[in-house]
Amino acid sequence: MTFVVTENCIKCKYTDCVEVCPVDCFYEGPIFLVIHPDECIDCALCEPECPANAIVSEDELTDGQQVFLKLNAELVELWPVITEQKEPLPDAEEWDGQEEKLNFLER
Amino acid sequence: MSAFNEETVLDVKHWNDTLFSFKTTRSTSLKFHNGHFVMIGLEVDGKPLMRAYSVVSPNHEATLEFLSIKVQDGPLTSRLQHLKPNDKVLVSKKPVGTLVTGDLSPAKNLYLFSTGTGLAPFMSIVRDFETYERFEKVILVHGVRYKSELAYQNYLTKQLPEDEYLGEYAKKQLIYYPTVTREEFDNTGRLTDLINSGKLCEDIGLPPLNPETDRAMICGSPAMLNDTCMILNDLGFTASGHTGDVADYVIERAFVEQ
Repeated sequence: MTFVVTENCIKCKYTDCVEVCPVDCFYEGPIFLVIHPDECIDCALCEPECPANAIVSEDELTDGQQVFLKLNAELVELWPVITEQKEPLPDAEEWDGQEEKLNFLER
Repeated sequence: MSAFNEETVLDVKHWNDTLFSFKTTRSTSLKFHNGHFVMIGLEVDGKPLMRAYSVVSPNHEATLEFLSIKVQDGPLTSRLQHLKPNDKVLVSKKPVGTLVTGDLSPAKNLYLFSTGTGLAPFMSIVRDFETYERFEKVILVHGVRYKSELAYQNYLTKQLPEDEYLGEYAKKQLIYYPTVTREEFDNTGRLTDLINSGKLCEDIGLPPLNPETDRAMICGSPAMLNDTCMILNDLGFTASGHTGDVADYVIERAFVEQ
């Protein structure tokens, strides 16, 4: 089991999750974070930390969010690990809750 | 930089066939809050094999202590159970966790509800001076199946009350309530039943659980967490939503199941 970062992280990237992860399993892209499914220990600490409610347990993903399970696993291979919290993206508040953000994903 | 410190095993204690604890050295750089957990492990086939373990020892001690189950085919515990003094273990450098008294609002009594190895983080919390400064009574409830699983029972009833520094606090303020489900014992029955029936509070001579006066921390199996949260929610307690969110109770599961 793993937790998965879903659509609402895109263009927000608050990074509060990074601070509480005991195994540093978050990886950082330009506008999105992902969780390494093989490193996540399922401790659930990150889920409530996300101001954008973008982190979801694998078994609670909605049908529409299923795509993010594979996307997290794929993108951890491309991006560097992030171990410290940083400032969110400048327009994070504005983008929080916007729909169809997956179209903006940069790799 | 490695995410782990290598520590040396100092002492191993086997409580019974399914439960053991061990002490290790502690790198001076490792700072943690009482109630926190770290990742513990061994290098297996050239890779670290790690699992989450709550720290049993309080943060003012110079060594670390952990409590673990033994599972014969468990990837990590099948190996860890054979630890002996001078062996090396890996300990992560980033302690975290939700079982911290800082996330509880001020109140009179602190209930620590645990089953099995869920006792571990509370061993740290009942040896924290601040716990006794913040709460008048600290009630440590430990539910297990068999008497032999009551780890630290002797320590809690005999040694801690005589401790040079903590003894006076523990004698006056700590109430230890072990309960056993599958054998005869002074207290028997499931922790959740003992709360629901009112027997727990009756036995310890405190009024029924009340969010006005009581705070709680819960650590156990997912089923135990779920049941205990439901009881507290029904009584009007509010759960801390995340780290830093001050509320009536906090929870964490006892991690290692294999």
